[in-house]
Amino acid sequence: MQKKNNATICERFLFNAFFKNHYKDLTNFLYYKFGERLNPQDKMQEAFVKLWENCKNVPPEKAKSYIYKVATNLMLNEVAHQKVILKHQKKITKHYTVETPEFLMEEDEYLQKLETAISNLTEAERVAFLMNRIEGKRLDEIAEILNIGRKAVEKRVYGALKKLRKEIDGI
Amino acid sequence: MKIIMEKEYLIKKWLDNNLSPSELEAFKALDDYESLVKLSKYTKRFKAPIVNYEEALNAVEQKINFNKTDSNLWYKPLLKIAAVLAICFGTYYLTTTHNSNYSTGFAEKANIELPDASTVNLNAISKISFNKSSWKKQREVFLEGEAFFKVAKGSTFNVLTNSGIVTVLGTQFNVKQRNDYFEVSCYEGLVKVKHNNVSQKITPGQSFILFNNKIQINNSITTNQPEWLSNISAFKSVPLTEVLSEFERNYNVKIVSKNIDLQQLFTGKFPHNNFIVALKSIVEPLNLTYSKKNKIIFLKRE
Repeated sequence: MQKKNNATICERFLFNAFFKNHYKDLTNFLYYKFGERLNPQDKMQEAFVKLWENCKNVPPEKAKSYIYKVATNLMLNEVAHQKVILKHQKKITKHYTVETPEFLMEEDEYLQKLETAISNLTEAERVAFLMNRIEGKRLDEIAEILNIGRKAVEKRVYGALKKLRKEIDGI
Repeated sequence: MKIIMEKEYLIKKWLDNNLSPSELEAFKALDDYESLVKLSKYTKRFKAPIVNYEEALNAVEQKINFNKTDSNLWYKPLLKIAAVLAICFGTYYLTTTHNSNYSTGFAEKANIELPDASTVNLNAISKISFNKSSWKKQREVFLEGEAFFKVAKGSTFNVLTNSGIVTVLGTQFNVKQRNDYFEVSCYEGLVKVKHNNVSQKITPGQSFILFNNKIQINNSITTNQPEWLSNISAFKSVPLTEVLSEFERNYNVKIVSKNIDLQQLFTGKFPHNNFIVALKSIVEPLNLTYSKKNKIIFLKRE
């Protein structure tokens, strides 16, 4: 049963709603994939601008994959095979400290090891793993965003976990 | 071999946040449990920086305007002719493609008739938008907030919201889309709710509720239209934060709370036309006290 759909995202109302639903996920995706140096926020905004400019040619159901493709291409144009470094965030200081200086130093060492290990993952593993652990996205959700099968996502996430454990825990 | 396979199985399910209670126990008993949890915990420190919604949206909107003026520059000589034509066709263009917008303010309700005699009742602080001239081809309404629909039988009728799409053929239903709380209630006919590419059908008496990324189907409706149409807000196991937001919208006040669990589920009602009774209906069952200063209400635990 064919449903004729003439809707586009050219309506400001719909565009804003679409933006609200996807701007965060897209920016996070770019950050995990390319790191922070190449300004993920900027590329995210450019992608939405391009969507608006081409809104007549992009059916709403294709809009999500469109912005991901555009944003990724914008990034790739700038990337010069730099090693992707993600900075870990400084812990928010509490009003009291329970941890000893030794604990804090061990924690910092662990974070350094983790940072290195994460940057040694393949891009595919890193993106899938961070979307799963940090954003809390389930395997099916990641599969939908990356447009790949669920088994493929599982392989990437589990593969990343194994690599990280090997580098950090020596297992 | 079997032991290794079981470990891998549990870890994969843990990654997908899909462990059953007994599997969770088995997972916790693994040797690797501590180091896996530690790895997971510290990975979260590599979270992407927070993107501010308002700033990002403003930046995008500015870029859109900026680009438009740029490309207009080389059209300048033709603009004068175009302007005259634009005025002539302007009115025609506006009447055929312009959207009809209706919105309500604080403590306001509105009843709107759609081109095919379907009707929409809007609750406070709500907005709908639809295109009159393309109505025959496609019945589509964009909604922000809460509305009760009585849809005449006909072609597919769609309600678009930020949280999902509601589709019906001819029926009566309520859509409530507020911040992170999305609820669709069916009073007659069959209603289909689509969220994140997953569709769910509900029948009369059922509600589809999406809150905190969890979906629930309740069979709890006993009336034949939502109570807010009779100027009463009724809640069955709704998070308190949403109940207070509804109160703010109907009485045009701001509520500030201290030491109160806003996620606790509230069942009860409050009227829209009696401030003290309404406030007491919320405060008394929960053992809270309140004080009022101008348009701000302070709530705290007794």
